[in-house]
Amino acid sequence: MTEVLNIDNLSKHYGSILAVDRLSLQVAPGSIYGILGPNGSGKTTTLGMVLDVVRPSSGTYTWFGQHTGKEIKRRIGALLETPNFYPYLTARKNLQIVADIKGANSKSILQMLNMVGLEQRKHTTFKGFSLGMKQRLAVAAAMLNNPEVLVLDEPTNGLDPEGIAEVRELILKIAAEGKTIILASHLLDEVEKVCTHVAVLQRGQLRADGRVDNILSARDQFVISADDIPGLVTVLQAIPFVESFQPERDTVHVTLQEGYDGRELNRAMFEAGITLSQLTLHRKSLEAQFLEIVKNRTP
Amino acid sequence: MNLLRIELHKIIPYRTVWVILAIYAMLMLLILYTSSKVTINGQEVGNEMYRLPGFWQVLTYTSSFFNLLFGILIIVLITDEFTYRTFRQQVIDGLSRADLVLAKFYVTLGLATLSTLFLLLLGLYFGLLHTSSPSAAVIIGKMDALAYYFVQAVGYMSLALLFGILIKKSGLAIIAFIAYAQVIEPLIHLRLPDSIDKYMPVKVLKSLTPMPGQSLLDELTTPTQLLTPPNAAIYSIGYIMLLLLLSYLILKMRDL
Repeated sequence: MTEVLNIDNLSKHYGSILAVDRLSLQVAPGSIYGILGPNGSGKTTTLGMVLDVVRPSSGTYTWFGQHTGKEIKRRIGALLETPNFYPYLTARKNLQIVADIKGANSKSILQMLNMVGLEQRKHTTFKGFSLGMKQRLAVAAAMLNNPEVLVLDEPTNGLDPEGIAEVRELILKIAAEGKTIILASHLLDEVEKVCTHVAVLQRGQLRADGRVDNILSARDQFVISADDIPGLVTVLQAIPFVESFQPERDTVHVTLQEGYDGRELNRAMFEAGITLSQLTLHRKSLEAQFLEIVKNRTP
Repeated sequence: MNLLRIELHKIIPYRTVWVILAIYAMLMLLILYTSSKVTINGQEVGNEMYRLPGFWQVLTYTSSFFNLLFGILIIVLITDEFTYRTFRQQVIDGLSRADLVLAKFYVTLGLATLSTLFLLLLGLYFGLLHTSSPSAAVIIGKMDALAYYFVQAVGYMSLALLFGILIKKSGLAIIAFIAYAQVIEPLIHLRLPDSIDKYMPVKVLKSLTPMPGQSLLDELTTPTQLLTPPNAAIYSIGYIMLLLLLSYLILKMRDL
């Protein structure tokens, strides 16, 4: 099956700054693909390049196995960074312009306004919209030609909790129709809730990619302590199924390899002659997970 | 023509466009009305000014001063697209960079047509009112001035188009456009011999609507060399194509 999007060794320099560094990734049909990274990690630049508004310094990309052009763009609905509309035109007029460009049927304008819940506000000018409404209008515009792929860049940025929930619900609704969605976000939580696949970017480099449950599988952490912390550390170094550990003041944080749990850890300690005074399961915070991905994985 | 339709969707509800067009129309009427009572080139104007076919030249020469106004309008329309990031969105949605330039060129053609038609109406109205025996030959006599004016208007607006796309910020682009057309190029003209500077873009455009009675003035002072309007039209069309090409190349080279 042809990949929806295939990015091959794409780079972008801004002067001496390398915004995107030899990025390669593939988006399969029907997936909700999250591009995760902190602000300034090259997410928007990457999307800008594949959407034909930023010139790549090197590398190539294809959509549906082809180079981009008018016909290809009609199969993609995209919103990059901000909702871009004419402030003095009404919602309906703004969508009319988009429909004319995409060759979409004018009838779909009202359908889309309906879908994003703006049918009551179709005669309001864009400048009179709240941020959430602007964002929803942009989603409506992106959906106008019933595209096969939807590209969304930080779609919940700047929204209040209600707006965030609305937009996420909308994304899941659209995904349920079998469309491929590419979603850039700096919110781990958002990617985890919405996406099936994820690519993690940091300083323009791909740190990890794959299924969300593999990449973001929160391997739990144990917090243990004993009277003899240095002895505990020596024992930990010898246990084969300990993936990593980090001594704190009077506790040690331990991550085990997959398939092992607290019982094995406790038994191994006991066999080494150390009695644990504390063994607690600690769910890793999302931030900690993210830092771990970024720290440990290299492409 | 889809591009033109898209442009009309943007322009028709846009008040700034109508305000600038209204200013142009009102100033033209005001000048025509008041200048009949003053003297130009040492001649009492009066009814003389309105007499066809010479009136066509008076009209297009007068209107040529307002080309800067049309240029400003084009700059506003283009820099708006950068400010609202709608150029960017339209490329994402499916237009090519050539489409962006072409669409704005259609707008300049539309505006030039509008102002040429306005001059045609003014010419017929005032002309027929003040010409004692209007025959077809008299009316059509120097009507080609309108065609040259049309080329001139498109030329100035194409220059503005380049400045808008190059500079992206409305205030700065307007200042640069006016500075180039009114100050920088005229200063260069002073330095260069007439035989060379008559080919420079703003001078070529100006040659399309020569001042009525220029030949009279030339007899009194050293004659300035200007291209004849038909020649100037050919060079102008060349410059217009060059300006559009440059605008396209700038868009192509840059990120949106």
